[in-house]
Amino acid sequence: MTVPIFELPDELRLSLITKQFPCREPQIRALATLLNPSSAPCRNLVVYGTEATGKSAITTALLASLDGDSFKHAIVNSIECITARHLYETVVGKVAAAVEWEAVAPRCESVSQLTVELSKMLRYTERPDGFRFVLVFDGIDHQREAPHTLLPALAKLSEIVSPSLYHPLSSLLIPSLTTLFILTSPPPNNLLTTFTPNLHFPTYTKPEFITILSLSPPPPITPSTTPTETLDLYTRFLSALHDSLSRPASRTLPSLTQASRTLWPKFIQPILARTHTVKEFSKLIVLARVHFQDESLLDPTLSLSPPPTTTTTTPNPTIKTTDLATLLPTTARFLLLSAYLASHNPTKSDLTLFSTFHHGRKRRRGGFTGGRARKNGSQHRKIARKLLGAHAFVLERMLAIFMAVRTEWDPASGGRTKNGIVEGEQGLDNDIYMSIATLASLRLLVKVGGGGDVTDLGGKWRVAVGWEVVRGLGRSVGVEVEEWLVE
Amino acid sequence: MFTAPPTTTAATNTSPTTTTKSAPGRPAKRRRVSEKDTAAPLPAQEKDDEGRQWPRLFNGFESPSAADLRKKTYESAWPVLESEIESVLRDANRQTLEEVVEFLNSDVHECEGRGRVPAGFIITGPNIAGQDLLFSQLGDVLAERGEGRVRFVRLKAGEVGNLKGGLKRIVREGMGGVEGGDGGEGGGRVVVAFQDSEAFDTGLVGELVGLFHSWQDRIQFSVLFGIATSVELFQARQLKATARQLYGAQFDVVQANAVLESVIMAAVAGAKAQLRIGPGLLRKLVRRQQEHVAGVGAFVSSLKYAYMNHFYANPLSALLVDGQKLDKEILQPEHLEAVRMLESFKSHVEQSVEDGRLDHARLLLENDDYLKGRINRQAAKRQQYLGKLLQSLALVIATEHSKRSFVELYEAALEEGISLDQSPGPFDLGDAIKRSTPEELIGLIKRVMTVVVDGNPSLHWNGMGIGQDAEAAIDKFEALRADVERLIETSKKKKTSLKSKYSSQSRVLRTTVVAQKVQLSRDTATLTEEDNAFTAAIDDFFAFFKTLVGCEPLSNLFLNEVWQYDYHLPYEDVFVPRPGATFARALSRPHDYLGCACCDKANGSMVGTLPATSILYHLYSEAGASINVADLWAAYYALVGEDSEIGMDERSALVLFYRGLAEMRAMGFVKQSKKKADHIAKLKWL
Repeated sequence: MTVPIFELPDELRLSLITKQFPCREPQIRALATLLNPSSAPCRNLVVYGTEATGKSAITTALLASLDGDSFKHAIVNSIECITARHLYETVVGKVAAAVEWEAVAPRCESVSQLTVELSKMLRYTERPDGFRFVLVFDGIDHQREAPHTLLPALAKLSEIVSPSLYHPLSSLLIPSLTTLFILTSPPPNNLLTTFTPNLHFPTYTKPEFITILSLSPPPPITPSTTPTETLDLYTRFLSALHDSLSRPASRTLPSLTQASRTLWPKFIQPILARTHTVKEFSKLIVLARVHFQDESLLDPTLSLSPPPTTTTTTPNPTIKTTDLATLLPTTARFLLLSAYLASHNPTKSDLTLFSTFHHGRKRRRGGFTGGRARKNGSQHRKIARKLLGAHAFVLERMLAIFMAVRTEWDPASGGRTKNGIVEGEQGLDNDIYMSIATLASLRLLVKVGGGGDVTDLGGKWRVAVGWEVVRGLGRSVGVEVEEWLVE
Repeated sequence: MFTAPPTTTAATNTSPTTTTKSAPGRPAKRRRVSEKDTAAPLPAQEKDDEGRQWPRLFNGFESPSAADLRKKTYESAWPVLESEIESVLRDANRQTLEEVVEFLNSDVHECEGRGRVPAGFIITGPNIAGQDLLFSQLGDVLAERGEGRVRFVRLKAGEVGNLKGGLKRIVREGMGGVEGGDGGEGGGRVVVAFQDSEAFDTGLVGELVGLFHSWQDRIQFSVLFGIATSVELFQARQLKATARQLYGAQFDVVQANAVLESVIMAAVAGAKAQLRIGPGLLRKLVRRQQEHVAGVGAFVSSLKYAYMNHFYANPLSALLVDGQKLDKEILQPEHLEAVRMLESFKSHVEQSVEDGRLDHARLLLENDDYLKGRINRQAAKRQQYLGKLLQSLALVIATEHSKRSFVELYEAALEEGISLDQSPGPFDLGDAIKRSTPEELIGLIKRVMTVVVDGNPSLHWNGMGIGQDAEAAIDKFEALRADVERLIETSKKKKTSLKSKYSSQSRVLRTTVVAQKVQLSRDTATLTEEDNAFTAAIDDFFAFFKTLVGCEPLSNLFLNEVWQYDYHLPYEDVFVPRPGATFARALSRPHDYLGCACCDKANGSMVGTLPATSILYHLYSEAGASINVADLWAAYYALVGEDSEIGMDERSALVLFYRGLAEMRAMGFVKQSKKKADHIAKLKWL
């Protein structure tokens, strides 16, 4: 039996895959040529491209279609491998499963052992003529705990495991193992080596995006509109959507899909309301312009759907009650506000803000800001404090602020009861420390620097909630936090 | 409000922790005992009966059977409530559980969130302790509904430190039975619950979700997050890639306030509660719940502590047993003496004297048998009072006119009694009831009748039963309803609207234009015959309603101390300790604790006889941020040195000074200053 030296991949198989993955024909053909034993097989192959460009899916489909007696493959997904050792053992296991090898080594701890095991299975075993094995490392650049020698070692696998030049069966000097790496971006030193073919999966262009997305058009808008009309409108909608979103935002297929999924119902709202027809595309665009300018739809949400119950009619009021401001008890709210003040006000303004001792009256919004500091301020300009984010503060300072503002913010605390008995000054009881600990475990307050107990007054902390949350929180207890901020 | 208990009970109402510490072998005094040796159990008694017997009170004079009785009463009273609370808490979660299970079983995510991991976000509120029950219930429900195909894995941040640990746990608990996890059977599914999701390392959650996502084509994973803050904050912490892999729905748990209210209804106000928690303590407990991050669990344990305290330390709690069971043998002279010390006894006797029932008062004070008879009758009176209290509360709630929460109403009822006439007051329902329209009145009558017949299940009050009163009440309400319905019919025929003189429509502001001037005139719309009849019906209803609703304040009742517990100090000492304030007080007024004669006149000021540490503390609190040790020494020596009244020589003064300073440092008040070599820095400011 003679094996032809060069043969193009089977068109029939290719056409199937091409149909399955539109707009990827050049890549599929190149990949098939580089993998097919009878075309131009290579030792190592790097497939790279950003997410959702079809790298893994096409590779999987192609390899599955090539599978046969003299062609086997195994795909190892690095995301599923927790350590490098896990990766090795997965490789051994998958290869063994693919070649129906029975005596699988129970453990495999290093690359060298991996080489030995693979050699056992692939090199020193009789295989049919022209046998080829493709080992795919998917997302190898995201491998956890990878030793830095991992990639070079894996790249050498093919040389070592493949039968030596003098092996009687390998008269054509064709290696029997191809290692395929799927990466997001190739390491730059790939350009230095000449023998590794790289295959780039570029992002889709606008027409390609539209082609792909319009393959799965939404259902007809109204019963009276035909599918063709809907598809037509959808295509034009997609094109407008692609143009309206800035390029980096719409670069990937998932984000564009998500954007179109969110926008489409809003876009067709006028049609459903029967104020416009399907044909009036430009009017629809004008109506939906607000939504198109809304950047927030690019944010991948957790896509909260209302709980699938019968009472889905009133989801909004229930969401309101679970606002952070209503969930936290009052003391915790005050503590969080105090922490925010401690994080965002400079220490030197504390006296002005919180002390009633020297000044008689409170002077808020910074009394000390003028004066000395201005004179030599021109030499090095300071960055505005609020641009720097939350500062760390000492717990004691936060508690002092809390004690100072508590009576003012919450007249009920330390006030008189109905019977006229003063309930004593509420000191720092354990409930306050408990609140701090709870806030810490909710990650609303974060301890900076390791060590030390939670109750350590000298410990450094930082507030982990933003201005919006704090303002809402303040309003829920009747405090305008803005009045207490110096800058 | 907290009132100082009479001497005997004051002595006995100490917390269990203090009563057990006692000096054995002291001669027992009958009166004026200090707190320490009140409940001094005689050593011999403590050991009998497998050593688990409660100490005898009355300074050891209480009979063992009485002590036993208290113990038995406690053991029968508390578990009932505990199971009650448990079922209330379980009920509260039921709705959420249903929703979550339905979400997990539904196929919504199949179409919309294809390829994503379904994620349920359960907003539990900051009460992390409460999540435990919810998630264990969830596990039970899933195991039950899933018929063994659903695996439920609970992850807690404390137990899962890193990715490997988390995965090991998931594999062990989740894949235990699913043979060959990658076999792709498609039947089994794994639900992984992150119980306290905020406490998890952010990266860890992301990595785990990434893993679940990549396995999604072989094993069907779903995740649940217990969220204490909000989904937005949760999402802000996660990577966008993680967010893209999740497909979520949000679920709300019944909020803590609502849960607390139903717990209070069942366990504090309900008929099953043997002991009444007094209004003062109840207010404290509720306020702590609202202001601090204390879960319902804290409330329940406070409640239990109140029960324990009452039965353990109050000898009169033995009288709580039913009248018939309360053997006269149990009652011993000490009990009677204690009863005669009670505030309610005193006021009862005074009242009797004022009313001119001098014999009654004399008998109470002098005749033991007469008093015993009275004591035996109080159990029935208590039942009667409770019945009336619950009836009034249930009826007030049924009107749906009260704007206050149940807890507020209950507190007010205990404290001030229930009276519909008091205006303004918590039970000021008169206007609201009188203003009601005919339809509202019929609805009101219906609701009230339901309550009269069936009672209020959450209060465990079974309605008025089948006595004469109940029948009379139902007849009355039926007649009223028939009347009102008839009136509505008549007015419909006449095509007028039925109204009463109380309803706002009856007074109309009329504008008339006379000679280009607008005249406003208040016009009382004329009431038709039916309207007058309806007004009479409303009045009739309200008058009868008033007879059903009303009770006295709890403290007016004779012997209420037996079944009321309203001491908040033991509770605060145990549940809300204030270490800082305790230290400061002990150091500034040590003589209050030492009871030494030498510092009698100090009264919080600084005198030389105080312990060295205490003197240093006084000096310390007057000093600034950094203290010169030499100055401190000079001030100290001036107080205790040879020139002062104490007249200590320098060497021993120095020894005491150093020891005091070392103690201050050990307690964390001062530390060596880094700025100046001979200074110490003040550390405690709060």
